[in-house]
Amino acid sequence: MGAESGAIERVEWNGPIPARRERQLVKEAQRGSEQALADLYAAHWRRAHRAAYLIVQDAAAAEDVAQDAFLAAIGALDRFDRRRPFGPWLHRIVANRAIDWARREALRRRVDAIEESEARPPEGIGEDLMEALAELPADQRAAVVLRYLLEYSPGEIAEMLELPRGTVNSRLRRALDRLGELLEAER
Amino acid sequence: MNEPKLRELLREVPVPGAEEAERRGFAVVAAAFAERQAAGVRGTSGRRRAARSRTPPRRLALALALAALAAALILSPAGASVRHWVGEVFSDKVPPRVRPGLARTPGGGRLLVASAAGPWVVQPDGSRRLLGDYEEATWSPRGLFVAAVSGRTLSAVEPDGTPHWSLTAPGRVSDPHWSPSRFRIAYRAGSQLRVAFADGSSDRAIAAGTAPVSPAWMPLGVAELAYVDSHGRLRIAESETGRGLASVAALPGVDEIEWGGHGEVLLESSPAAVRVRRLRSAKLALEVEIEPGRRLPLPAGAGVRDAALSPDGRTVAVLLSTPLASIAGGPRTRSTVLLFGPDGPSRRLLTVPGDLSELAFSPDGGRLLVAWPEADEWLFLPLGRSKGEAVGNVARAFAPGQRAAEFPRVEGWCCRAR
Repeated sequence: MGAESGAIERVEWNGPIPARRERQLVKEAQRGSEQALADLYAAHWRRAHRAAYLIVQDAAAAEDVAQDAFLAAIGALDRFDRRRPFGPWLHRIVANRAIDWARREALRRRVDAIEESEARPPEGIGEDLMEALAELPADQRAAVVLRYLLEYSPGEIAEMLELPRGTVNSRLRRALDRLGELLEAER
Repeated sequence: MNEPKLRELLREVPVPGAEEAERRGFAVVAAAFAERQAAGVRGTSGRRRAARSRTPPRRLALALALAALAAALILSPAGASVRHWVGEVFSDKVPPRVRPGLARTPGGGRLLVASAAGPWVVQPDGSRRLLGDYEEATWSPRGLFVAAVSGRTLSAVEPDGTPHWSLTAPGRVSDPHWSPSRFRIAYRAGSQLRVAFADGSSDRAIAAGTAPVSPAWMPLGVAELAYVDSHGRLRIAESETGRGLASVAALPGVDEIEWGGHGEVLLESSPAAVRVRRLRSAKLALEVEIEPGRRLPLPAGAGVRDAALSPDGRTVAVLLSTPLASIAGGPRTRSTVLLFGPDGPSRRLLTVPGDLSELAFSPDGGRLLVAWPEADEWLFLPLGRSKGEAVGNVARAFAPGQRAAEFPRVEGWCCRAR
């Protein structure tokens, strides 16, 4: 994209960046630096997108959720406290929007079989896990993703989802037990 | 469940279309960021940046972001239409999926549509009838008739095109408007404001020297008309006698007025501004007080393309056009639809690159028809959170058998239940 726009050089990062560097990027983005925005995007998009996908279980919806979270973050950039890390702030938006989306979908119960099949990952890698995750309620999926993909502690997850810590722990426990049962049953 | 194994699986599950999603997401985010910068960010640092945001580099950034967006459009997967991604960049309400033709009117009701060939009546099922060689048209309050204009002739025709009567005016007829009481039709003949009975009789002038602005009837069926005179004054007159009831200086450059609610709201719009006035009427005396009301706060640099008052008078929709930095093949403007409540702040309903041309409220006020000539679509957007609908191939629908067709104009959406 950088070559296409001529304005913004994309940096390929696959994981978290040092906290100090991130604070600097947020500061520069607040001042209008497109390059800083590109760097923040590169640092956070993939994990945010993957987290959304694992929670909503739908590729198009995950893209919407991740985009939505970034747009919300841009909209609130000026109010962002630079002393706090950017990632948790973004992941909080992603997780909550993904849960909302998944709950709405569950309520609607209007799954289009064709779209569903297109949204599934290719057969093979992770298929069992996706099927098992789909059996969990959205809030349990979110807890699992925040804990085991994004590596937040139960206390941090409790803060992000505005839940008592005990609730997070019990959701994680129930989710792990259920996933274990389902994945064992597949074998 | 083994936790390390779970971690590994969560990281390895393939996300379908991840790379394309990342590219599209970046285009969307970069364009939104550039738009934010171009608009001037809020807060203390925002105010410092606001002045700089008008400098060429900032405009260039926006242009380049739009170029990035254009690249993303090309990279969109099969089935993701250009308009979908364009809409996602800027809109609060994503332009909805397009239906290929007008098979029904979303939200119901009947449309009156002006095309180069004349006005058409569009039934709720999407069927259409050309009324004849008329230049303008307007619904009667219940949609039983249409008042249509051709040269110096004002006619009343049924929606199936059957003519009922015609009258010849002393000047070229324009801006017909049927009274909510159903018994009168106001119109302009040259610069005269005239009123005729709804059977075509008793046609008479009630004011001379009017500005080219369509008059507006008092909505409760009271015989009062608002109009703008050639000196730029907004006047309210008793329609039987022409007696003046009130006048104030109109919004400079006013080109449209609407009188709504229960007669307590009057909307004035010009290419630069929109004002909502409050009116007070004495119950037992023919007196009207026009209060200054408020000028709606619009973004700097934005021009007003259209404004519409909801039937209950509680919502004002404003269509704005903002110039963008020119890039080859890119949009020159950005169009935004803002909604204003009675006294509160505005809410953005939709923003798209390019030009939207007009707005029309549905009879129940629950939807807005937004015309998008560049996409050849009408968008039917609910004012709430629910998804809207879009109808494509609009121009061709009103120019059957023609290769090049002008995009039509919506004259009215009929009719509010009474």
